[in-house]
Amino acid sequence: MTIRRTRKTWATAVGATLALALGACGGDEPEAASTDEPIVVGISLPLTGDFSEPGKGVQRGYEAWAKITNDKGGLLGRQIELKILDDQSNADRVVADYEQLIGSDQVDIVVGPFSTRLVVPAARVAQEYGMLFVEPAGAAKEVFEQGFKNLFYAAPAVANDHYNHLAEYLLALPAGQKPTTVAYAAMDDPFAQGTAYGLKEKLEAGGVKTVVNEVYPPNTTDFSSIAAKIATSKADMLVGGSQYQDGVNLIVALQQLNYQPKLAAFSTAPTSPEFAAAIGNKTEGILSPTGYTQDAPYDSNKEFVEKYTAQFGSPPEEDEANAYTTGQVVAAAVTAAGCAEQGECQQKLIDWVRTATVDTVVGPLSWDETGKPKGAHMIQQWVGGEIKIVLPADAKETDLVYPKPAW
Amino acid sequence: MPSGALLFQSVILGLLLGGLYALLAAGLTLYFGIMRVVMIAHSAFLILAAYLAWWSHSELGIDPLLSMLVTVPLFFASGVLLQRLLLARLRAVTLTMMSVLLTFAIAVIIEGLLGYVFSGTQRRIQLGYGSTSLELFGARIAVVKLIAFGLAGVSLLALYLVMKKTTFGWALRATIQHRDAAKLVGIDTDRVAGFGFGLGLATAAIGGTALSLDTTIYPSLHWHWIGPLMAIIVVGGLGSVPGAAAAAMVLGLAQSLLQIELGTTWAQTVFYVALFATLAFRPQGFFGGRLAQRF
Repeated sequence: MTIRRTRKTWATAVGATLALALGACGGDEPEAASTDEPIVVGISLPLTGDFSEPGKGVQRGYEAWAKITNDKGGLLGRQIELKILDDQSNADRVVADYEQLIGSDQVDIVVGPFSTRLVVPAARVAQEYGMLFVEPAGAAKEVFEQGFKNLFYAAPAVANDHYNHLAEYLLALPAGQKPTTVAYAAMDDPFAQGTAYGLKEKLEAGGVKTVVNEVYPPNTTDFSSIAAKIATSKADMLVGGSQYQDGVNLIVALQQLNYQPKLAAFSTAPTSPEFAAAIGNKTEGILSPTGYTQDAPYDSNKEFVEKYTAQFGSPPEEDEANAYTTGQVVAAAVTAAGCAEQGECQQKLIDWVRTATVDTVVGPLSWDETGKPKGAHMIQQWVGGEIKIVLPADAKETDLVYPKPAW
Repeated sequence: MPSGALLFQSVILGLLLGGLYALLAAGLTLYFGIMRVVMIAHSAFLILAAYLAWWSHSELGIDPLLSMLVTVPLFFASGVLLQRLLLARLRAVTLTMMSVLLTFAIAVIIEGLLGYVFSGTQRRIQLGYGSTSLELFGARIAVVKLIAFGLAGVSLLALYLVMKKTTFGWALRATIQHRDAAKLVGIDTDRVAGFGFGLGLATAAIGGTALSLDTTIYPSLHWHWIGPLMAIIVVGGLGSVPGAAAAAMVLGLAQSLLQIELGTTWAQTVFYVALFATLAFRPQGFFGGRLAQRF
């Protein structure tokens, strides 16, 4: 299947490129394409197995990027061709896949796989070959502690920085209004804890007291004891390092105890489409950081949502957006460096991304020396029965409501 | 030192939790009493009942409590069939051991079917009164938890009355105490054992419905329950229904209170610590039950 499809795309792509090259004879393309061949982008993704759902989402994101870019004439006048291998959600295969893509298939560019734990081995292979490695899924802090010189995470922020905009906002409040006590409850999971503890660190440094700090195992179903601790602490503010169901359960348990904080923030859960119904529509004022929303006001996002919806029939979610963002970063680098092939060109690409600020569907991105993005997530809040962007100020759809109404 | 309000709230939550544990453990200890069967699948049936309650609420729109009109008789019948068709065929010498394997298989089958039909997604019944609560001296009691506790209390009382006041109950207790002697006085022990098993499974139907009112369910959740329940029936004395109920209340309360100091992860260990302590110092259990000594 894959092979046949690839051949077909290859043929179409070559045809299209030829036509373009003929048509563009003496055209205004400054780089006067040193080659007419398509730019081949190599990727390994979990299309089967445990991660097949998000894996396919990432695949759709890459495909949307290739199509939208090609429809506009490609990069440097060359069409983009994706070469996607299936790693079957198996970490052992990912190294072999990238060896094959770079070594024997001689792809021009590689981009990252899905799932954090696959990013490190894949990036190592890319580094050995001196290739630029932009990736959509490596948010854990270990990824940035490996000393990679070629890796860039194409998202606004790693877990610990998700709440940065909220921290800034709260610490800037006048003394009388600023919350003075905070309760934290986080799932025993690096991502969920990362989000809550990132905010905890910043608020504690700003003199806001931590009164409850609870960690619960991933499959906890009974949150009444944790809720009792939080409710009796009467903390001004509540931060939940949650995934989905745990966040819902904790909120219901807190509502049962009639706990009314001035502010409540949960990671991931409140942005889910089922959230409002799950907690009986008592969502008013709940905050959540979000890496991607279809409503984000950035120019390329409007184009992405529109064309993606036309291509796939439904609007893109975060997995798709992260892959698309990865493509945008690569495209910007290729355009700026004026080349896309293995060898010296790769170092040019890496050097360019290192100092660049790239406009993407998740806003402008830039990176520190470890490849960690310097941004923060947007903060959304449930206002009037809908979830809206409230921070940062330049992207907001409405003002943050503080203190939040009772739930 | 935790505040008085938190302690009081935790005591209430512990009692509510203990009530549910008591009902579930009562069924489990009944099987062992009647047949020396270790019923690993008890909690799988519990989750099955919870799923049926959830399904009837989300698909048919009826209150989960009404689903018991179907699930309780259904589970009773399944229990009778399960005992007569499968467990009664196990050889007496290896019954306890083999029943572990057999009921383990049943548990895995139920879990697999639940996953197949309802997928692994976590589910929760969304009730209009899901987050309403009553106030009691500054503490809060969630209505759903109170209903669950009420269900457990009523069922336990009914179970107690059946065991103490009816001829069937006497026959059941006689079978538990001494099967051969019961046969000698003319009790059809096979029949009684079958009904006893049905009774045990009916408690799982009620318990599952109570459970579904206020927690998330997913197919593998039963592994989370079987450990604490096994510990409770050993601490309570194998085969003793009042013992299981008492141990359940004590351990449920202990878990709730320990969560204040230890957090959720470590508070769960109270069941296993109690299990070790019981086996080491008082293997027959703390609340009656002479059976463990003999096995």
